[in-house]
Amino acid sequence: MQTIALIGNPNSGKTTLFNALTGTSAYVGNWPGVTVEKKEGMVGGHTILDLPGIYSLSPYSPEEKLSRRYILDEQPDLIIDVIDATNLERSLYLTTQLAELGRPLLLVLNMADLLEREGIKIDTKRLSQMTGSPVVTVSASKGTGIDELKEAIEHSLREKHAALCPLFSNFIERYISHIIEDDYLHAIPKGRQMRWAAIKLIEEDELFLSSMPPLPEAFDTYLTKVRAELVAHYDDDPEAIIIDQRYKVAEHIAKDCQIRKQKEKSFNFDSIATNRIAAIPLFVLIMGAVFYLSIGLVGGYTTPILENLFGYLGSQVFTLSETLGVHPLLSGILVDGIIAGVGAVLTFVPQLFVLFLLLSILEDCGYMARIAFIMDRMMRTLGLSGKSIIPLVIGTGCSVPAIMSSRTIEHQKQRELTVIVTPFIPCGAKMPVFALMLTYFFPGQWYIAPMIYLLGIVAVIVTGLLARAIDKHKETNAFILELPRYQLPTVRNVWLQTKERTLGFIQKAGTIILLSSVIIYLLSSYSFTFQAVDAEASMLAIMGRVIAPLFAPLGFGFWQASVALLTGIAAKETIVSTLSVTIGTANLGSFFTPDSALSYMTFILLSSPCIAAIGAMFKELGSKRKLLYALLWQTGFAYLSALLVRYMVLLLI
Amino acid sequence: MQMTMDELTVGQRGAVKAIHAPKQLKRRLMDMGFTKGVDIEVVKLAPMGDPIEVSVRGYNLCLRRAEARKIELR
Repeated sequence: MQTIALIGNPNSGKTTLFNALTGTSAYVGNWPGVTVEKKEGMVGGHTILDLPGIYSLSPYSPEEKLSRRYILDEQPDLIIDVIDATNLERSLYLTTQLAELGRPLLLVLNMADLLEREGIKIDTKRLSQMTGSPVVTVSASKGTGIDELKEAIEHSLREKHAALCPLFSNFIERYISHIIEDDYLHAIPKGRQMRWAAIKLIEEDELFLSSMPPLPEAFDTYLTKVRAELVAHYDDDPEAIIIDQRYKVAEHIAKDCQIRKQKEKSFNFDSIATNRIAAIPLFVLIMGAVFYLSIGLVGGYTTPILENLFGYLGSQVFTLSETLGVHPLLSGILVDGIIAGVGAVLTFVPQLFVLFLLLSILEDCGYMARIAFIMDRMMRTLGLSGKSIIPLVIGTGCSVPAIMSSRTIEHQKQRELTVIVTPFIPCGAKMPVFALMLTYFFPGQWYIAPMIYLLGIVAVIVTGLLARAIDKHKETNAFILELPRYQLPTVRNVWLQTKERTLGFIQKAGTIILLSSVIIYLLSSYSFTFQAVDAEASMLAIMGRVIAPLFAPLGFGFWQASVALLTGIAAKETIVSTLSVTIGTANLGSFFTPDSALSYMTFILLSSPCIAAIGAMFKELGSKRKLLYALLWQTGFAYLSALLVRYMVLLLI
Repeated sequence: MQMTMDELTVGQRGAVKAIHAPKQLKRRLMDMGFTKGVDIEVVKLAPMGDPIEVSVRGYNLCLRRAEARKIELR
């Protein structure tokens, strides 16, 4: 079995190609940096790896470091260089670096279907001659050229030809050959190329030097002399000279292999999407439409139907088990545990399906990067980056991929702050809780639902401003982001993403929620001596009463609410199923009042997220101490906000 | 008088002469294609005039004015 690595610029379609090759449905989107972890799959009996996109082998952000480390240390048997065919020159710049690694290289010209529209023609035969690597043309999203690619992979793995190294100007080549002759070069790790090492020495690449034994003095002096001569000749620093040389090679190849017709300027969506006046209102409008369509329109229609359906199912099962003489414990588990708990969660499947569908369309069409562009200035005042808006938008679906997507933010402090504020944006799983409370206590008062989102945004702003005020350094950093081409979302991609996320939600209902509903039912029906008792004397009630007083100031100091919050740590939907099992959705009014319902929602909105999101936070923050601070901040902020909301409501009503 | 990229208005073109930035940022900008002599065009400004969208080597990217100021044009 051999290993193949997919490498290429961000947003060149590596994951779409990975999915097409392996038949999987990994997360894809149309902005640079969708993939932040490496993914493994199988193709033709070989392991294939999908790596985060990189512009160069000099990394800036954590996910780029992962790619560099992998390619350099793991020595894949074949590197597939995925090239956005409409962006040949910049892609070839990375190719010039990959070619030096001494591994077989296979160039894949992706997005071939767009070439005609963009007025580009590429001579693949010439490209193959000039780079010394086989070239295959595919369209990963349309699924064309995949069989040819599979054949080419087999061929390359058999032949094992190392790629041709790009040649620089004679002035530099002379030095490179001198350096290669030095004995020191024999110290480079096995499998690394002499030429590559020589170039790293000229560049003074820190990551490379730290992996090598110290330089002998004479050789070090020689290298310093080389650099000085290069600087004198080119009037730039050695690293910049090498980059410049690589781009010259890339330019030369691109010029020889491609014909670009000047594109006619036609109307494009971008003239409105990033219009100076309309851009931000349009963004608000689009997000508003997403929630209105999913929660308001579809949710408003399907929720009552499904509620009645599950209610009917429950009563039918109950009568059936009565007539069959089923043990009340079993029928209780079935009706009041499983059907009530799981049903309460499944009721929200249609509206979440629509939410996921709309979000994946947004992610696929190229708008996300534009949001980062138009919002950067505003986000900067909060100590965040334009790139932080992407996790916040994705977070309306689920916090876990949202938190992970913060990894493309190069600056550590901004990245960590983004991780901490992302859970403030209510995810799809919190929606059932709000919907349950709102339909019960505030029917017809449509303006409360948007206020919840607004409150989440306020929490982001307050946290950002506070973090900025505390931070003494106030260093700013670069914000450089490629703006990808707009594309019509492909039905296949959108469907795959939507299906994946909706099924994930349903699966949770069938596993975590099901299990917890049964446990909650049993705990709330039996005492510590396993006697069937009234809920008030049950194990659950006794346990819940321990923490319930903590929440008394917030208006929900009864054990059912506290237990629901605790089970919510497993998954936020569980709050709904727990409330349904312990209180029953029809009885909410005898426990909550409008003010405590609002403070309960506020607390759920802002307090620490579910265990999966906490795990994601831990991974991105990288330290237990930071995670603890983040969770304390979230929960403390939630507590105070809930208190504030409750008293404001009490004063107003 | 030297001119920097942030001084261009929408639709104006220029060619990169030099980048005056710390090592990391300079490398990043160069990796993205801002090498000596390359043609660039300012395509658009964000709602508050910052960041700016620039076309370089056949694709578009955005960067802040602070970074654009570090790119000297000729």
